[in-house]
Amino acid sequence: MSRNDAWAKASGQTRYAADLSLPGMLHAAVVRSMVPHARILGISTKQAEAADGVIGVFTAADVNPHPYGRSVRDVPILASGVVRFTGERVAAVVAESRRAAEAAAALVEVSYDELPAVLSAEEAIAPGAPAVHDAPWDYPRAVARPADGPNVQSRVVHGSLAGAEEALSRAEFTVDRTYSTPSVHHGYLEPQACVAAVENGRVRVWAANKSPYRLRGQLAECLELDPALIEIQPVPLGGDFGGKGSPMDIPLCIELSRLTGRPVKLVLRYVEDLTATNPRHPARIRVRAGCDAGGRLVGMAVQALFNGGAYAGFKPLANVNLHGAEDCLMAYDIPASYIESVIAYTNTVPRGHMRSPGSPQSAFAVESALDELAATAGIDPAELRARNLVQPGGPRHSGGPAWAEARGGETLRALRAALQHAGTDSPASPAAPSPPPGWRQGTGIAVYARGVPRLGTTSIRLVPAGEHGRVRVEVPIPETGTGSHTVVRNRLAAELGISPDDVEVVQVSTAGLPADPGVGASRVTVGMTEALSRAARAWRARTRDEPVVVELGAGSPPGPAGTPGAAGQAAPAAGDSAAAAPLVSYCAQAARVAVDPGTGQVKVLEIISAVDTGQIINPLAHQMQIDGGTVMGYGFACLEDLAEEDGQVLAASLGDFKIASMKDVPSLRTVLVEGGRGVGTANVKPIGELANVPTAAAIANAVAAATGCRVRDLPITAEKVFWALREAGTAGGPASGAGDGPVHGAGSSSGAGAAGSAGEKAADMAGKGRVR
Amino acid sequence: MPADDLVFSAPATVAEAVAQLGGDDGEAIAMGGGTSVAMLLKNDLIEPGRIVWLGKIPGLRQLMAASDGTLRIGATVTLRELAAAEPVREHAPALAYAAGQVGNPRVRAVATLGGALVHGDPRQDIPPVLLALEARVRVAGPSGEREIPVAGFHTGFLETALAAGELVTDIIIPAAPGRRSVYARFTPGSEDDYPTVGVAASVVRAGDGRVTRATLALGGVGPAPLLVSRAGELAGRVPGAGDIEAVAAAAEQAADPVDDRLGSARYKKAMAREWTRRALRACLAGERGRPDSGPAGS
Amino acid sequence: MKISFTLNGAPAQADAPPDALLVDLIRGLGHTGTKEACGVGVCGVCTVLVNDLPVSSCLYLAACAEGAEVWTAEGLAREDPALIRAFAECEGMQCGICTPGQVVAAAALARGRERPEATEDEIREHQSGNLCRCTGYQTIAESVRAYLASR
Repeated sequence: MSRNDAWAKASGQTRYAADLSLPGMLHAAVVRSMVPHARILGISTKQAEAADGVIGVFTAADVNPHPYGRSVRDVPILASGVVRFTGERVAAVVAESRRAAEAAAALVEVSYDELPAVLSAEEAIAPGAPAVHDAPWDYPRAVARPADGPNVQSRVVHGSLAGAEEALSRAEFTVDRTYSTPSVHHGYLEPQACVAAVENGRVRVWAANKSPYRLRGQLAECLELDPALIEIQPVPLGGDFGGKGSPMDIPLCIELSRLTGRPVKLVLRYVEDLTATNPRHPARIRVRAGCDAGGRLVGMAVQALFNGGAYAGFKPLANVNLHGAEDCLMAYDIPASYIESVIAYTNTVPRGHMRSPGSPQSAFAVESALDELAATAGIDPAELRARNLVQPGGPRHSGGPAWAEARGGETLRALRAALQHAGTDSPASPAAPSPPPGWRQGTGIAVYARGVPRLGTTSIRLVPAGEHGRVRVEVPIPETGTGSHTVVRNRLAAELGISPDDVEVVQVSTAGLPADPGVGASRVTVGMTEALSRAARAWRARTRDEPVVVELGAGSPPGPAGTPGAAGQAAPAAGDSAAAAPLVSYCAQAARVAVDPGTGQVKVLEIISAVDTGQIINPLAHQMQIDGGTVMGYGFACLEDLAEEDGQVLAASLGDFKIASMKDVPSLRTVLVEGGRGVGTANVKPIGELANVPTAAAIANAVAAATGCRVRDLPITAEKVFWALREAGTAGGPASGAGDGPVHGAGSSSGAGAAGSAGEKAADMAGKGRVR
Repeated sequence: MPADDLVFSAPATVAEAVAQLGGDDGEAIAMGGGTSVAMLLKNDLIEPGRIVWLGKIPGLRQLMAASDGTLRIGATVTLRELAAAEPVREHAPALAYAAGQVGNPRVRAVATLGGALVHGDPRQDIPPVLLALEARVRVAGPSGEREIPVAGFHTGFLETALAAGELVTDIIIPAAPGRRSVYARFTPGSEDDYPTVGVAASVVRAGDGRVTRATLALGGVGPAPLLVSRAGELAGRVPGAGDIEAVAAAAEQAADPVDDRLGSARYKKAMAREWTRRALRACLAGERGRPDSGPAGS
Repeated sequence: MKISFTLNGAPAQADAPPDALLVDLIRGLGHTGTKEACGVGVCGVCTVLVNDLPVSSCLYLAACAEGAEVWTAEGLAREDPALIRAFAECEGMQCGICTPGQVVAAAALARGRERPEATEDEIREHQSGNLCRCTGYQTIAESVRAYLASR
C-alpha cells in the first residue's frame, strides 16, 4: 500500500510553505553582513525605501531586541550594533513582490567598522583571542563560563584523562592521531521558508519547521507573547535532516508582519541556505587508543574541538553540546576512557544539528583510529572490533546502567558474512561492478552504536470520520519525508483491524493538540506508535462515538530547552516497564573501493550496511532511511565541503556543494539483523540517524587497505590520495598490484559466518535491480 | 538588476539579429539556450539593454555533413542534438561524446554549440574538443561575414575574438579521413560536475601506422582552452611511449591552472600530464569518442 | 511584455518583465508543483517540459516560452496517470520536494525514445540530473523503470 501522500506529492499537489499565499501578503528579502566581524556604524535605507513596490525597510531598532535560541538564547532577530558572521541578518525589506524586495535589498547600504575576527575553532580558544561575544555567559541558559577561556560555547567531559593516559602508557600498542571534518550542509531541497500573519495580537505561522510546539515556545519566549496567542499551522517539509528545528528567520517574519500589518512571506535563496543557516559543526578530533597484545582495548582518549560558529542558539540540548561526540565510544567496552568535547564560538556561520549530530565526525575519527591501531597491532580490523564490542549485560565503564541488550557482535558477524559474498552474484543481489583493470581494491569496515531514545511526550486525537469505522487521526508533527504519517496510518489501521484506506492522517496546528517535542532524534516512530497503541485501546473501549485524545509523558511539558533525544534523558511514560535498562542500536558498514593509482580517484564500488533492528513497521520506508542515510554518509566521506575561507563559505550553490547524484551512488546492500529489542508496544528501534554515520570511516579504511595510504581529513578526494601515494612512492608507472606498503585490513576478513547466537535472524535485503 | 527598459527580441534572420545586436539599445547580448545568460542576469554580472534570442532563426539550427565528412553545424544546434546526430558521431565522435557529457539533460536540451563556444568558461567541455578538431568559426557582423579558426577564438577568461555586434553562425569541423578523436573528462568527485581537467586528442594516421596529423587541447587548466603544440610533433612517425611522454610533459608544462574546488593548480598540472598520456594512448589505439581510460600500463 | 503559451494543455498568458524566469511565471499562475531550490539549474526541482524537452525553468527566460507547449507534473498527472502511479507504487519519494521534477524528467525520458525500454545506464544517465537528498535513489530508479515498462 502506497504512502498516504504519494499521489499528491508526485502530481505536484502538495503545498509546502513557499507555495502558500494569503490575501494581502507581502514579500521580504534580507540584507546580510558582508564581513565576519564588525561594528555597524550606520545603515542607510533611504534609497531602498524609495524603490518600486517597497512597503518598508527595517533594522534592529524596529524589531524586538530579545535574542532567540533553541536552548541558549543568543541569536538576535536582526544584528544590533555588531555583526558576528558573514551572512548575518542586518536589515529586511518588505515589498509587494519578491523581485521588488530583492531589488531594494541591494540598495541598502551598511557601513562597518571591521573588528578582528576568529575564523577557526583553534584560533578562537587560544588565549587572548578576540571575543565573538563580550559576555556569552550572560545569555539565558548559557553554559559558558568566564573560567572556560575565550570563545567557549560549551565543554563536556566524560571519564578521566589521567586514567586514560595511565592506561595508554601501559598498552602494548598505541596510536595517537588527529582527524578533521569540514563544514557540510543538510542539503534539503526545500529552501527555508515561512509565512507569518499577525492580526489583532494573534500570530499565525506557516513554516518549514519540524517542531511546531517547541517553535511556539521559542517564539513566545523571544517575542514575549503568550504561547496561546501563537498558532503554528500544519505544513509538510521538503527535507529537514536537522536543519529546520530552530526559529531561524521566523521571528523576523513575524515582526515584519506586525510592523506592516499584513501577512509576510520570506523564502530564502539557496545561497542563503548554504551560507547563513545552521550547517554541521566542523571538527578536529584527536584520538589516542591503546590495546594489549591480544587486541583488547585498555584505554582511549578522544578530544574533540568543534567550530560552533557565531551563535550557540541553534543547538537544542541543555548542555549546548553534541551527544554524538559524548557517545562516540559507546559501542565498545573500554576499561579507561576519556571524552572531551569543546565547542567554540567563531565569527563564522552558526552551526546546528544535522543528522546524528556530532556522530559522523567522531565516528570517522574513532573508527579510523581503531583501524590504525589494528594495523599497528597486526590484528584484522574486524577482529579488533569483535574483541571489544560491549557485551549484553556487560559493564559500561563510562557509567550508567548496563545495556538491556547489545547486539554489536551479531551485527558485525552479519556484516562479515555478507562480505564473504561480496563481488559474487546471487539471485537476490546482482554483483556490484567490478573495478576497472589496474585499479587497486580494498575493503574497510566501521561500527556505530546509537542510544535508542526513550518515550517522550506527544499527543494524538482520533476522531470518528463517517461510516463503517472511518477514523481521522490528528497528529502534532509535520511530515518531513520519513513517512511518519504513513506509519501512523498503517499502525492505527493494524491496531483497529481496519483498512488503511479508512484512516486519514492530518497534522493539526498547535492549537489542535496539547504537546509534542517535534521531529528529530529518531523519536517519532517510537512515540507515535506508542501513542497509537494507547489511543487504539481507548478507542475500542469507548462507550460513546466521540473523539479520543492521548497524551504521552504528560508530566513533562515540552519547553524550548532540552530535548528528550539521547538515551536515558527523558522521563519514561507511566507504565513503560522497559524504562529501566537503556537500549542501543548498531550499524556496521563495509565499503569496497577501487583506487586509480595514476590519479588517486576513489570509486566506491559497494557499501554493505548491517543494521540492528526491532520490529519494522514499514519495510520500504525503513529501507529508504538506510539507503538515503548511506548516500548521505558517502557524500560526507567523498563529496561534500562547504569550503570556508576567511569566514566565507565558498560553495555558495549546489553547483559547488556537491550532493550525490544518482550516477554517483555506489551499489548498496543491506543486511537486516532483526529480532532486536525496541521500545514500546511496537518494539521499534529508530533508523533515521544510523546509516549515515560509519560510512566515512568505512571508506577511509577501505582506501587505506587499497593503497596503504591513510586520509585523515574529509572529504576523501582523489587529490589527497594522489599526493599520499606519491609520498609513499607508489604512484604513477605501471600498477604493481594491490597495496604496496603496509596494507590495513586488506581484502575481506576471513572468519565467522552469520550463524551465531540463538534468536538471531539475518535477512538479505539486497533486492532486485538496485541502482549501481 | 536589469535596466528598466530591457528589451527582449527574437529575430527571424541573421541579418535582423545583427542589426539588433548593433542597435543603440545599450549593450545587447545574443542568447542561445539561455542558461549562461540567465545565470549572468541573476547574479547581476550583466546589465544588458537588449537580449537577442537566436532560437527562432531556422538557418542557425541546421547541421550538414558534406560527402567528404566536413561538418557544418549551426550555432544554435543544441548539445542534445549534437550528441545524437549520426554525422557527428561518425566524423567527430569526440564532439558527440563531449556534447553528451555537458551539465545534465536539461542543460543539453537547450544549450547550443554556439553558446558553449562563446561563453568562454575554460572549464567547459566543448572548446578543447573544437580546438583539437581544428574547427573554424563562421561569424556574421556589421562588417559582413568572416571565419576565425577556433585556435584564435578564445582570448582570455570569458573573452572571445568576437567584435561588437558579431554573432557566431556556424562551426565548421574539417573532414579528416582516418582521424581518431577522443575526449577524456576527468571528474574524480561527483560525475555531475565540471571536469578537473579535460583533454581532447585527435590523431590521423596513414595506412602504414605513421601519424600524419595530431592535435591535443586541454580544458580547465588556464583562463582559456589550451592547445598543446608539442602534439603536432608526433606527425611523421609511429609514436612510442617516449613520444607520448614528451607531449604529456609539454601539457603539464603549458598548463597554468588555478587552485579551486576542482583541485589545486599542482594537481591539475599533474592530471594534465596523466590524462594527456591516456588520451593519446587511446587515440593511437584507435579508440573514438570516450577513451577506455585506465591507469598507466593497464 | 505579454507572454502567451500553452500550459498543461490550456492557453495561458502572463504579463512579465523580459528577464522573468519561467519558474516564476508558472508558479505565479498558481501551478506550485514546479519548485525552486538551487536556482542554478543543477538540482532539477524546477524541471518542466517545453515542447517535449526537459528544461530547468529557473534558468529559462519566460519570453522564450512564447508559443510553446509547457507541461508540469500537475498536467502530466492528468494526462498520464501511469506516470504518477509508478512513483506512488514504487514509493519513489520521501519528502516529495524533488518528486514533481523527477516525474517530469521521467516523462521526458519516455517521450525522447523510439522504443519504450531503456537500459539501466540510460535511466541513470537521464535521471541523474534530478537530485534527491532523502531516498538514496533506489526507489526513484525503480519508479522510472516501472513507468517505462507500463508504456
